[in-house]
Amino acid sequence: MIMMKQIALYGKGGIGKSTTSANLSAALALQGFDVLQIGCDPKRDSTRMLMHGSFIPTVMDLVRERGDAKITLDEIVYTGFHGVRCVEAGGPEPGVGCAGRGIIATFQMLEKFGALSGDVIVYDVLGDVVCGGFAMPMREGYAQEIYLVTSGELMSLYAANNICKAIKRLSQRSKSTCRLAGVICNSKNMPREEELVTEFARLVNSTLVQYIPRDRMIQVAEIHKKTVVEYAPDSPQAAQYQALAACVMTNTHLTVPTPIDIDALESLALEFMQV
Amino acid sequence: MPSNPSRLNSCRFEGCTLTGALTVTTSVRDSVTVVHGPAGCAHHNFSLLHSTGLDHDCITVPHILSSGLLDTEIIFGGEKALGQAIESAVSRRPKSVFVLSTCIAETIGDDVTAVCGSGWDVPVIPIPTAGFLGGSFQAGVNNALTTIAGMAQPCRNDGGINIIGEKNLEYEVEQNYAEVVRLLSLLGLPVNLRFIHNITTAEIMGVGKASLNILRDEGVAGVGERLFRQCGTPFIPAFPTGLLGTIAFLDRIADACGVQSRAAVLEEMALQESMLDDFSDIAGSCIAVDHLMNGCHEYSFIHDVNEALHIRVKPEGTRVPLPESAPVGTAGLRRMLHRWRRAIHA
Repeated sequence: MIMMKQIALYGKGGIGKSTTSANLSAALALQGFDVLQIGCDPKRDSTRMLMHGSFIPTVMDLVRERGDAKITLDEIVYTGFHGVRCVEAGGPEPGVGCAGRGIIATFQMLEKFGALSGDVIVYDVLGDVVCGGFAMPMREGYAQEIYLVTSGELMSLYAANNICKAIKRLSQRSKSTCRLAGVICNSKNMPREEELVTEFARLVNSTLVQYIPRDRMIQVAEIHKKTVVEYAPDSPQAAQYQALAACVMTNTHLTVPTPIDIDALESLALEFMQV
Repeated sequence: MPSNPSRLNSCRFEGCTLTGALTVTTSVRDSVTVVHGPAGCAHHNFSLLHSTGLDHDCITVPHILSSGLLDTEIIFGGEKALGQAIESAVSRRPKSVFVLSTCIAETIGDDVTAVCGSGWDVPVIPIPTAGFLGGSFQAGVNNALTTIAGMAQPCRNDGGINIIGEKNLEYEVEQNYAEVVRLLSLLGLPVNLRFIHNITTAEIMGVGKASLNILRDEGVAGVGERLFRQCGTPFIPAFPTGLLGTIAFLDRIADACGVQSRAAVLEEMALQESMLDDFSDIAGSCIAVDHLMNGCHEYSFIHDVNEALHIRVKPEGTRVPLPESAPVGTAGLRRMLHRWRRAIHA
């Protein structure tokens, strides 16, 4: 019996967190682990590829329709590819209410149901930690290991660096177990991108745990409403996610990050940019 | 907000913005106030207003409704709940509905003004009252008074006087009002409207009829300025305090209204003389007034009465109570001296 591992993926919007999360969960499931993936974004598409293209009802949808008293566990947890259990927090319509509070309420409900179980929980979180609600997965009792998903683009690194600030601040709390576990480079096929992200990871007191090259196979798999791990299990791209999964399960290099200032970030980008 | 350093200024520098606004809106008899927030915000204030009423020997049931926000509304937005609460308020057939926001409603960005503006049968007036934005109790009072002043219609000046921004929770609110009415009557001037103390929605519309506004104190100066811009009504900044202050008050009002003050001033001076005679038994006493306040509070309003009665203020003097805010007019001084007498003769 292994201890339950709780990891969270954070990064700039559109950088590929959900694709990475879903493929990571799929790879972990194939390696025999009991995986729960929780999408913590009102966009609710984190688990879609694991669910073969279907948008599962979100926790917040059910709360909105019925109030939280009448909801049961099997209405919010859906089993997808290879037994991966999927939950989508959901949230209010864009522009109203408080999505952050929605995340907090979802977590409270999952706690109440005892749904936070298994070998690995993967939290796929909104790109920007805009308020306390989106930092919820980093709080005590939830994800202890934070992975930053970034490309070599400056704005993506900037977002990753901001998340380092949040982790650093939270890790200063006395009971906090939240640490930075590593940086995942989801490549945009920029020259010297792997070097750049490796250097960024070093500067923020972490390491690059996986470089995932850009591959058309991702889009092909998505058109077939599947993760690459499921659609093309023998492809080199699937192997990358298998490697990431193996790394995540053995990774013990957890650090308090050292975010860098914007000048350092810009000169880093400039150093690696070919002009 | 800093603590109020002065008893001349009776406004509250701390406290809940919502509570401040409710002391105003619930004093419009034929209106209902909707508090857009969790039920507790309404309940707490209902209790406070009700129990304060009981303290004043007055059974009040403030017309307050809550939109009853719960976690679900916080997450998905509370505008629908607000719409329902307004609907419920309107169904009780009030002449106006005031909608007061709360901290959480403003935090999640509910558009209270838009909901209020969606075609109701009676005026539905939003008043911003989220306390976390830094406002105090007094800010709530002022927000309510200035917003409601905006309902007033232009009207012909008929020579009356408005009393602006009375402290509806003040223990002596009625006595203070009665004293100002008495002083005005010496000048032959009637009151037009108590803005806002136990009035109707229709009466609000006539706030512009007065030729002069008398403000309760400097805390509501903004309301006086607003009414001056809107209706052209000049204002006197505060109720009178002290012997000389009361005489000066008569002069200022006479001046502003273009009437003679001489007879009124002589009559009031005679009243003050006779009052001082009534307290000749405590003349020459030695008192200590600031034992609870570490000497930091302003009490210049007792200087002239002390001088007239040869009362000295010394740390070793008899401890006498000072009212929470400066006593209003000659009658206010009389009540204060009564309390002093009890302490001195105790």
